[in-house]
Amino acid sequence: MIRRAFRRVVWALLVVWATTTITFFINNVLPSDPARMVAGPQARPRDVERIRQQLGLDRPVLEQYGRFMRRLVHFGPSHVSPKDPEHGTCATFGPLHFDLGKSYQQRRAVTTILAERLPRTLMLALAAVLVETLIGVLTGLLAAAKRNTATDHLTVGLSLVGISAPTFILGLVLQFVLAHRLRLLPLDGFGDTPAKHLVCLILPALTLGIYGAAYYTRVVRDELIGAVKMDHVRTARAKGLPMWRVWLRHALRNALVPLVTLVGLDLGSLVGGAIVTETLFRWPGLGALSVSALLDRDGPVIMGTVIVSATGIVLANLLVDLSYALLDPRVRR
Amino acid sequence: MRWIRKRTEPAAVAALAALAWLACACREPPPSPIAAAGNPAPVRGGELHLASFGDIKSLDPAVASDSLTDEAIQLMFAGLVDFDDQGRVVPDLAERFERSDDGLVYRFFLRPNLFFQDGSPLRAEDCKRSIERALHPDTPSSYSLFYDRIVGFDDFQSRKRDHLAGVVVEGERVLAVHLREPDATFLPAFAMQALRPVCPSAGDRYDDAWQPCGAGPFELASWDKGRRLRLVRFDKWWEPGKPYLDAITYSYGMNVVTERYKLEQGDLDIDRELSLPDTFRYQNDPRWKPLGAYDGIPSINGEEMNVEMPPFDNVEVRRAVAAAIDRDELRLLKTSALVPLYRVLVPVLGGDDPNFPAQKYDYAAALEHMRRAGYAYDPKTGKGGWPKPITYPVYKQGLYELSAQVVQQQLAKIGLRIEIKVVSYPTYLMMTKRRGTAALAPSSWAQDYPDPNDFFEPIFTTSAINDEDSNNGSFYSNPKLDDLVKRGRRELDPKKRKAIYDEADAIVCSDAPWAMEYQYRYYGVHQPYVKGLRWSAVWPNYVRDVWLDRASKVAMRAGVPRGLLASLAEVLR
Repeated sequence: MIRRAFRRVVWALLVVWATTTITFFINNVLPSDPARMVAGPQARPRDVERIRQQLGLDRPVLEQYGRFMRRLVHFGPSHVSPKDPEHGTCATFGPLHFDLGKSYQQRRAVTTILAERLPRTLMLALAAVLVETLIGVLTGLLAAAKRNTATDHLTVGLSLVGISAPTFILGLVLQFVLAHRLRLLPLDGFGDTPAKHLVCLILPALTLGIYGAAYYTRVVRDELIGAVKMDHVRTARAKGLPMWRVWLRHALRNALVPLVTLVGLDLGSLVGGAIVTETLFRWPGLGALSVSALLDRDGPVIMGTVIVSATGIVLANLLVDLSYALLDPRVRR
Repeated sequence: MRWIRKRTEPAAVAALAALAWLACACREPPPSPIAAAGNPAPVRGGELHLASFGDIKSLDPAVASDSLTDEAIQLMFAGLVDFDDQGRVVPDLAERFERSDDGLVYRFFLRPNLFFQDGSPLRAEDCKRSIERALHPDTPSSYSLFYDRIVGFDDFQSRKRDHLAGVVVEGERVLAVHLREPDATFLPAFAMQALRPVCPSAGDRYDDAWQPCGAGPFELASWDKGRRLRLVRFDKWWEPGKPYLDAITYSYGMNVVTERYKLEQGDLDIDRELSLPDTFRYQNDPRWKPLGAYDGIPSINGEEMNVEMPPFDNVEVRRAVAAAIDRDELRLLKTSALVPLYRVLVPVLGGDDPNFPAQKYDYAAALEHMRRAGYAYDPKTGKGGWPKPITYPVYKQGLYELSAQVVQQQLAKIGLRIEIKVVSYPTYLMMTKRRGTAALAPSSWAQDYPDPNDFFEPIFTTSAINDEDSNNGSFYSNPKLDDLVKRGRRELDPKKRKAIYDEADAIVCSDAPWAMEYQYRYYGVHQPYVKGLRWSAVWPNYVRDVWLDRASKVAMRAGVPRGLLASLAEVLR
C-alpha cells in the first residue's frame, strides 16, 4: 500500500513538471508579444522595447525557462520582506520557497495573486460539488426507485437538458430569474463579509451544481438499478427490511464508488477555476484570473494558474486512487 | 404510454410557461428611470456607482496605459493642467500657465495651498520629481516618447544625466519646462495623466509596491484588484465645496447584461456599455432618451493596406479599396455606434470641411482603379481582379469579426478575394505590426491626446515604421507627408496648423494606406438623479463634477418592481 502510494506521488510530480514545461514553451512560442500587451496597442515601439527588456523577454527562451525552473522551488531565508529584490515574490514555507515571478500586468507577485484567488475558487468548487452531489444522488435515487415511471422519465429527461445546457446559458437564466426578476439573490460579486460571501456563492454554485448534477443523476440511477439486482440487496429485501433502508444502506453504498471518482475529478478540475461561471458572476477566483491572463498574455500568471490546476487534478486523482482502497477492499489485494 | 403523457403534461406546461415568461420579459421596455428629488442646486454627499466589463491593472499614472484606468486616475491625480469638455487645455493645479514667444518654454504657476492626499504640501519641486519619476528609463511607461522634445530627455533616458535638464523649478510655485524645439503637442500631452504629481511617498523612482496617492479631488479608499475600486472625497481639494460626491465605486469585470440589470435596479448610476439591443431599447424609450448621450472621444477605424506587399504596393489597388468600401452599408452592422468616416481627421479635430477631397464610396471608380492597376475585373462574368487570395487577420470578440464579412463581400465585387483568419487579439496585434506579415487588416487608432498630430505621426509617418511593433502597420512612407507632420508639430498658429493637417489628410486620402471606414462611439445612459455629468472629448465617464439628486429610498424604489409578486404582476400585465 505504501509503495503504491509512493509510486503514485512520484508519478503525480512528474505530471505536474511535464505540464509546467509544456505550458511554458507553448506560451513562449505563441505568436504574440506580452510586452506589447503591457504597453498597450498604441505605445511607441521604443517604449515597448524598453518594457520587453525590463520583463526579461528579450532573453532566449531556454534561458528564461532555466531561470523559471530554478526560481520555482528553491531554498532561502525563512522570513522575507516583499521589498526583498531576490525573494520578495516568493511564497515561503520555512526555508522552502516557491516563486512564480511577478505578473506582467498587475506587477505583483503571482504567488500573492494565487493566494488571494485560490481560497475563493476552492470555496466555489466545494459548494458546486456539494450541490451536484446532493441533487445528483437524490434525483438518481428517485429515478431508480421509480424506474420506468413518469418520474423516472422526467428526471432522466431533465438531466439530459441539464447536460446539454452550457453553463453560460444556465447561469444567465438563473441570474435573470432569481436575481433580476425575483430579487432573491445578488446579481453577481463576492461580498464583503463571510455572510455575503455565502449569499453571493449561491448562484455560481447552483449553475455549476445543476450542470454537474445532471450527469450524476444518470450515473447514480444506472448504478442503483444494477445494484438492486445484486444478491445482498435481494437478501436484504427478503429479510423484510424497509425499502428506504434497502436503497440507502445496501444499494446506494455500492453505487457510490464510481461517484467518488467523478466527485474527485470534478473537484480537481474546478480547482483550476470554472472559467465561464466565475466570469459571468464576477466570482474572483482562478477561472476569471486565467481568462484575463490568457487574453493579456500574462506569462507568469498563466504558469501559476496552470500549475495550480494541474496540481489540483493530479492531487484529486491521487486521492481518488487511494480512496478506492478504502472503499473497496478488493483493490487492496 | 398514455398515462405517462398524462402525468408529464403539467410539467411540460409549466416549462413552456416559464419559457414564455422569459421570452416576454426579454422584450419588455426598460423600467422607468428612478426620479430625481428635484434640488435646483448641487447637493453634497452620496456615492456614485460605475461598472465596466474591463479591469484596471495599475493606478500609477506613470505606467497606466488604457482608457479605463485613465477614468480613475484623472480623479485621483490632478495635473497642473487638464482638459475641458471640448478637449481644450485649461489650468487645474496651476492657476495659470504661459508659453514663451518662441514656444520653447512653458511656465506653470501653481495655486497656493495645494496638498497631496497624504497631507504634505504640493510644490513645484514635487512636480519635477513626478515628471522625472515617470520618464525615468526604469519606469515601464508607455508614453515617455510623447515628451521627447523636453531639453535633456535623451540624456536622461540614456542615464547620462540623473535629472531632466529641461524641467526647472523656478520657485516654490513656479515650474518651467524647456523644449528643444517648439512643439504644439506638448501641452495636450502634458495634460494627460502620465506626468501628474504623485505624493512624496512615491519617491523619485518607480516602484510596483507604491500605494497610489496624488493630489486629485478623490483619494483611494480601497482597491480589491480585479473586483472593485473605491475612491472617497479628498477634503483638501483646492476647489471650495467640491467635489460633491462622498465616494465613487467602480466595479470591474462585470458582464454587460448584469450592468444593465443593475442600472435598472438603481445599483448602478451610469451605464456606458449597453449591448446593441439594449442601446436601441433605451434610445427608443422616450423616458430614457434624454438621459443618454454619445461620447466624443475621437477614434478612427479602417482597412490598413501594407504598401510593401502586393497587391497593395500598387497605389491604384489601394484607391480601389478606398472607393469600394461602402461605409453606409458597413455602418448597418452597429448603427447605434458607427459613424461613417471618409478622412483621417474627425470634425472635432478640424476635419469639418465639406469640400475636402475625402475618400468616398464609388463603385465605378473602384473598378476603374483596378483596371488602371492592371487587374481589371468584370462584375458580370466575375473574371479578372487580383488572382491570389489575400489573408485578412481579425481577432475574436470584436466588431472586426463581423465587419470582415462585409468587407469581404464588398472587395469581392472589385476582384479582391480575402480569406478571413480569426486569431486571438495578441496574435492579431503581432501580425499587423510585423513587417511583411499582413497585406490587409482592419485597424483602429484612438486618440492619445486631443491633437491632429496624434492621428498622423504615430501611424502614417516614416519614423513610425519598425520591422517589429510597427505602429505604422501599412509601412507607408512619404517624405512630403513626413515633412508636413513635422511642420505641423512645430507650428503654433492654429490656422496654419489646420492648413498643414488638411494637406496631410489629403495626401493620406489620395495615397490610401488606409481606407477610412468609421468612427466608433459609445452610448451611455444614466439615472435622472445623476447631475453634472459631462460627456468629455478626452475622458470617458467624466464624473469629477457629478452630484447626486437622490430622493428618499422609498420614493426612489417606487418605480422599480420588487419581489416575486411585483415581478409576476408586471409580467402578467
